[in-house]
Amino acid sequence: MALPTRLARSAIPKLRASPLLPAFQPPQFLLPTLFAPTLHPQSQTSSYHSYEHNPPSPFSVPESAILSSALQHVPAYGFTSTALKLGARDAGYLDVSTNLLPRGVFDLVNYHLVTERLSLKDRVQFPLQGDGGAGDLGRIGVGEKVRTLALARLRANGRVIGRWQEALAIMAQPTHLPASIAELARLSDEIWFLAGDTSVDTSWYTKRASLSAIYSAAEVFMTQDTSSDFVDTERFLVERLEDVERVGGWLGEVGEWVGYTGHSVVNVLRSKGVRI
Amino acid sequence: MNVAAPKLLAKSQLLQSVRIAAKRGPYRCFSCSIHVQQQTTPPPSGQDAPRTTHFGFETVAEALKEHKVSAVFSSVASSYDTMNDLMSLGIHRLWKDHFVRNLNPGSNPLTTRSPDSQGWNILDIAGGTGDVAFRMLDHASTINNDAHTRVTVADINPNMLAEGRKRALATPYARSPRLSFMEANAEHLPTIPDNSIDLYTVAFGIRNFTNKDAALREAFRVLKPGGVFACLEFSKVNSSLFDAVYKRWSFGVIPLIGQLVAGDRDSYQYLVESIERFPSQTEFRDMIKNAGFLVPGQGWEDLTGGIAAIHKGVKPIEGHT
Ligand SMILES: C[S@@+](CC[C@H](N)C(=O)[O-])C[C@H]1O[C@@H](n2cnc3c(N)ncnc32)[C@H](O)[C@@H]1O
Repeated sequence: MALPTRLARSAIPKLRASPLLPAFQPPQFLLPTLFAPTLHPQSQTSSYHSYEHNPPSPFSVPESAILSSALQHVPAYGFTSTALKLGARDAGYLDVSTNLLPRGVFDLVNYHLVTERLSLKDRVQFPLQGDGGAGDLGRIGVGEKVRTLALARLRANGRVIGRWQEALAIMAQPTHLPASIAELARLSDEIWFLAGDTSVDTSWYTKRASLSAIYSAAEVFMTQDTSSDFVDTERFLVERLEDVERVGGWLGEVGEWVGYTGHSVVNVLRSKGVRI
Repeated sequence: MNVAAPKLLAKSQLLQSVRIAAKRGPYRCFSCSIHVQQQTTPPPSGQDAPRTTHFGFETVAEALKEHKVSAVFSSVASSYDTMNDLMSLGIHRLWKDHFVRNLNPGSNPLTTRSPDSQGWNILDIAGGTGDVAFRMLDHASTINNDAHTRVTVADINPNMLAEGRKRALATPYARSPRLSFMEANAEHLPTIPDNSIDLYTVAFGIRNFTNKDAALREAFRVLKPGGVFACLEFSKVNSSLFDAVYKRWSFGVIPLIGQLVAGDRDSYQYLVESIERFPSQTEFRDMIKNAGFLVPGQGWEDLTGGIAAIHKGVKPIEGHT
């Protein structure tokens, strides 16, 4: 596949690093504590990050109750105030109680984003490496882990995929865009962290920026994917990740890729009538 | 010249509202009788030191404040829109629209699974002229296709209620069971049962209450678990430059215009001062929390740089605090 690189350069030339920098501060609780005891005995392949198995939920009890119930109504009613009201009722609240959510439907989208990011570490577990024991299935490269994690996260959109373009449109609204970009950055950071990337060199930012761009492009692709079990989306993701490595590794010319994929996201959203 | 345009606009709006108020001239004489009545009311006796509260920047006995406030609103009942226009620079209507749209009152019958759903039970406290109540009913009917949601307008002042009843005649709700009026003090609502209200609203009213904490406690009592307290009120402007400009306007110009329009400088002076006395956004948010409510997000939303703010609280359901 030929790359429309010239187009890409002009599209979003500055995305490479600086505008996103402030969003990429790794959260405190993710800082690695490699020798902490395992809190996860039922898992044969306990992962080294299990030390923070139950970080405090960022949502209050009533928020979680209403929003988790509301998500069940998204396939039928979309990311709408109707889904919120139905969720409130299921949780024992009143329609009016949805006023507890200051950002309305964006809070519903955000709940899905945050809970799926936080549960990624429980859903994807890699075998401990190099311990030579029975559980050592050989080395899995960081790149492969990134792919597995990104794919797992994409699959978590499966339940609501028919409504995901609505969610993207809500995220792209000017008032919600900063929060959406910050959350995408946190996801990207989480994936690199769970993949075991501990580098703190200059590639830190480009890795995260490129993964963010590839992930969001794949997310948009998935909303139009009619293949069974999203195999086309999987291929799309794998190819984009391979491309980025081929074009010069995560350290290299990723700016073009960020530009290209960013551009395609914008185009798809535009074709859906989102004014950006 | 581009710069001059908005000024001209503002001026013509102002003139227009002055003219409208002038047309309503005859109703203005409420004020006379009430003022006389107020002057003959003896101050409360029987206590060694009567409890005091603020009347604007004057400190007065609590029992007197109720009379004074009621006199103010009697004086301005009919030129009421003018007053609101003056104090909000003409944008209180937009704030009220936003307030109501954001609360999104009413339940769409198409998505209401329980067939016996009776819509929302809304209590609009200090609802005076019915301004907020009519908007609530319009929103429920037209946006949510809900023909059951009903509003009770409660106000301490019979003259404001009379003005509201009169205005209701121009709406589809005048003789419908969906709209009712009652005379009541927000601090004490004995005729309203516990846990009976879905949504309690108070727009530009709470700063006049003698005991705001008592009013918040009553709100908490009458709301159903999960019910919402929502308050639209003038607030603290959050830019010091804008604050300085707005203060000049409100303290300097509004009472003067009040004098010209309603012949009643003191009432307008009180209104301006009561805004200045009202707690800041964070203080009021904490008062709402102390009454037992959960607050959404930071607890309030600023409107137009903080000239006004919307505060909300949700009464928790058991086990969910
Ligand atoms: C500025 S008006 C607001 C009217 C209406 N809510 C609006 O936004 O147009 C304030 C109202 O509060 C009422 N009020 C003052 N103290 C009250 C109290 N303790 N209980 C109930 N109403 C009160 C006054 O009578 C007056 O009608």
